[in-house]
Amino acid sequence: MLSDLRIRLRSLFRRSRVEQELDDELSFHMNQQAEKYLRAGDSREEALRQVRLEFGGIQQVREDCRDARGISFLETFAQDLRYGLRMLAKSPAFTAIIILTLALGIGANTAIFTLVNAVMLRSFPVRDPQQLVVLKWSARQWPHSTGTSSFGDCAFPQQNETGATNCSLSYPLFQVLQNHHGALADAMAFAGTFEMTLSGNGAASMVHGDLVSGSYFPTLGVAPALGRTLLPDDEKPGAPAVVVLDYGYWQHAFGGSPTVIGQTIRLNNAAVTIVGVTEPGFTRLTPGKSVDVWVSLNQAQALGLKFIQPSDAKNFWLVIVGRLRPGVSRAQAQAALDAIFVNTVLRGTKPLWTPADNPHLLLVPAQQALRGIRNIFGEPLLLLMAAVGLILLIACANVAGLMLARAAAREREMAVRLAMGAARRRVIRQLLTESLLLSFMGAALGALLAPLGVSGLAAFFTKNAYMPLQLDLHVDARVLLFTLGAALLTGIGFGLAPAFRGSRTSVTAQLKGNTTTAAAGHGRGKLLSLGSALVVLQVALSMVVLTGAGLLLRTLGNLRGINAGFDTHNLILFSIDPQLAGYKDKQIPDLYANLQRRIAALPGVKGVSYSSDALLDGGLWTSSQVIEGRADKNAVDVQMLSVGPDFLSTLKIPLLEGRALTAADTSGANHALVNRSFVQKYLSGRRPLGLHFGDDSKKLDTEIVGVVGDTKYAQLRDEEAPTVYIPVRSGGATFEIRTAPAPASLMPAVRSVVNSVDANIPVIRMRTQTDSIDRLLFNERLVARLLGLFAALGLLLACIGLYGLLSFEVERRTREIGIRTALGAQRSTIWSMVVRHGIVLVALGALAGCGAAFGVTRLLTSLLYDVRPTDPVTFALTAALLLLVGILACSLPARRATRVDPMSALRCE
Amino acid sequence: MPVPRLDLPQGTLDLLILRTLSIGPQHGWAISERVQQVSGEVLRIQQGSLYPALHRLERRGWIKSRWGTSDNNRRARYYELTKSGQKQLAAEQGAWEALTAAVAQVLKAV
Repeated sequence: MLSDLRIRLRSLFRRSRVEQELDDELSFHMNQQAEKYLRAGDSREEALRQVRLEFGGIQQVREDCRDARGISFLETFAQDLRYGLRMLAKSPAFTAIIILTLALGIGANTAIFTLVNAVMLRSFPVRDPQQLVVLKWSARQWPHSTGTSSFGDCAFPQQNETGATNCSLSYPLFQVLQNHHGALADAMAFAGTFEMTLSGNGAASMVHGDLVSGSYFPTLGVAPALGRTLLPDDEKPGAPAVVVLDYGYWQHAFGGSPTVIGQTIRLNNAAVTIVGVTEPGFTRLTPGKSVDVWVSLNQAQALGLKFIQPSDAKNFWLVIVGRLRPGVSRAQAQAALDAIFVNTVLRGTKPLWTPADNPHLLLVPAQQALRGIRNIFGEPLLLLMAAVGLILLIACANVAGLMLARAAAREREMAVRLAMGAARRRVIRQLLTESLLLSFMGAALGALLAPLGVSGLAAFFTKNAYMPLQLDLHVDARVLLFTLGAALLTGIGFGLAPAFRGSRTSVTAQLKGNTTTAAAGHGRGKLLSLGSALVVLQVALSMVVLTGAGLLLRTLGNLRGINAGFDTHNLILFSIDPQLAGYKDKQIPDLYANLQRRIAALPGVKGVSYSSDALLDGGLWTSSQVIEGRADKNAVDVQMLSVGPDFLSTLKIPLLEGRALTAADTSGANHALVNRSFVQKYLSGRRPLGLHFGDDSKKLDTEIVGVVGDTKYAQLRDEEAPTVYIPVRSGGATFEIRTAPAPASLMPAVRSVVNSVDANIPVIRMRTQTDSIDRLLFNERLVARLLGLFAALGLLLACIGLYGLLSFEVERRTREIGIRTALGAQRSTIWSMVVRHGIVLVALGALAGCGAAFGVTRLLTSLLYDVRPTDPVTFALTAALLLLVGILACSLPARRATRVDPMSALRCE
Repeated sequence: MPVPRLDLPQGTLDLLILRTLSIGPQHGWAISERVQQVSGEVLRIQQGSLYPALHRLERRGWIKSRWGTSDNNRRARYYELTKSGQKQLAAEQGAWEALTAAVAQVLKAV
């Protein structure tokens, strides 16, 4: 109601005026009434007395009027706020400690939540993202004889006993589904990202490009910032090759120059014309994936992406995204499209599935289907969110303990307020207002600290990603709401107990002035048991986080201690792909030999080789091979790696038998090396040298010429598996350079050698082998590092809590300690009396924490290596650490207790 | 012999105030005087409840106030009925009459 609002606002902002008016009104009434009695013949005093009697306490009438006007809530709040601020300003150290504690707790939560929000929750920055759906197939099994490529947009391709599902589809299927208007307002398809060499704009560089249908931008509703986006006409056969730039990429690579429109650049050596730049808001589609350029998908062949055959119905490589027509539900659209899909894949000259495979098309909300980096980072992020939530809980318990101690100190104040007639409700409200004031101040400071944590984390993420990560980390309404919610819950959480405690103050005991008896009678039993419980809670929660951190640290230690089978130190890696710069297969061996020779000539380089992929670098090539003379004629799974000359000596992989591969093996008959696992698993005691194997049983064309030691290939955690080394003959390669000095110092020299050989070949990812291994261990390192940090924080908070509790207790028992000392108690007795109390609490907490950790550490199982989630050593060490730190925290208050001077202790009361 | 006084049943105070103001704007004291006079001194409004009631009615938008000058030339706060207050009065008066008639009927019949 308008009048209601107006009156409330007037009450709030023109308080003195309103009060004055009320006073005027009431005194007018009293005057009138008094005059009436005077007229009736009463004396002046009698009249006034009569009026006052009738009116009942004028103060009461005022209060009632105020209530009637509805000002009380806001006004009381303002009053409580003013009073609260005064109280907090009175004890600045106490206030500062609480605000800092809360700021750390809430700030850490905000930081992690910002990441969770960016990776898991944010919707696509496109028009009406909730209308977008991803088309996903599901069937009893994988389609017959198709080639599938997926680029990490959806969940990992799945196949199990019940069936298979994936969201890669073929271009012909896309065309069929797209042309069926009715269910979808629009549909687009995309694939990527592909690493492409961009030249014609200064030195050649690597960019990340997506191949997209012409309907990509119109479907998403993304407009150009400059020029135009790709349009359906660009997808037609014979359309000129054009490219659209990402706004951010255009800014940093082209300096945001508007003259780029119409400029021709070369992508993988093919000429393309820049036609536009996307609007700046369009930062990503798949979470975390950063795209620099978009090219029409019919340019795949021109760009040298040979494994993509757009016209081939058996080539599954596109993610299809549709926009639901308004008013059409997802289920309706799915029914319509599924019918077309089933019809298409079961008919035709070469059906993809049989009816028994039961293939279907599903429409999944895009927000749920396009997972991107959620596949990798989702689980550790949720784990960290849970851990940081525990830290906030510890902070909460900590502050509650401090508030409780202070509530005890303020009992007299509360007693006075209650005696003066304040309602208990009112006292609780006052105390809660103070708590909320603290928590919101903590949250404000925390929100200021959070960006530091966020940028540190984001840098850590980016440094360890294989591709540039797009993380949208700005603070949005959701993050803000989260922080406010955290502040509110914390404020109520830690404020509730002390508030109720405060309102239950015994008025008589306090006002008799006998605070000691009041505190002893009231406090000893209840107050301290609650305070102790809070300390136990903090210790227990710290124990949980500490145990998690301990398990992760042991895992990292175990993983780092694994023998990779080659020397991982002082090794530089970089990759090149000469084909993208226009090299023919024939020219590649010479190029590599030339590079190898020139890099080897650099001072400090002890060995150079190259291979199709590097070991422990995120890549893995597997293949099926048939081996000569085996009883089992089936092909066996092997890991493959093609290597250049000197590979074994550069990586320090031992040669066990036969000879290494040399430059001569690059051409001529096929020679190969196998590792020890290969011999053990597949040759069952036969002599390996001279045996042949091959892709199929009719063509056993490769001869084993040597046996080498086992190495790790894809992951440190994996068992060593049978591996075959063949000579590099074509394709891209990763160079390995063994250095004498620190590898980083040689990187610029290596780079300039490559540039001097051919400036058109961009160097891809110059890194050290150690960097690569760290990257493989990213999740373990991330969780270990943060859990370690959180554990330290939790431990610190728990210590502060313990220290605070014991200090408070020593202060409260000063008189008792004085008497004991006066009666001849030894200092050591006093010391152990205080410390014992602390130790009991820590031990209880550690015990409870052990129990909780026992249940919780299972969540870490997927991250652990060679250590069980309930590893007794970790548990014991953690508990010991807690006890040790606990004793330290107790010893300060205990020392103070031993210094109590009996005379002054007895006098002061 | 003093006139017997009755306490006001719950909720009737608002009705009495609205009815009194339907004649014309009045200040608080005059309202209470008028109710007392018209009821033949039977009904007396507790002063302590009159002003909270007035402020409550004003907040609901049924009456509005302005400052004016009283008969004896003093500054006084005058209340008057608003449009929605008139509607409210009609509704409450109707309800009250129906109630009392029904109660009276029952009392007579049994």
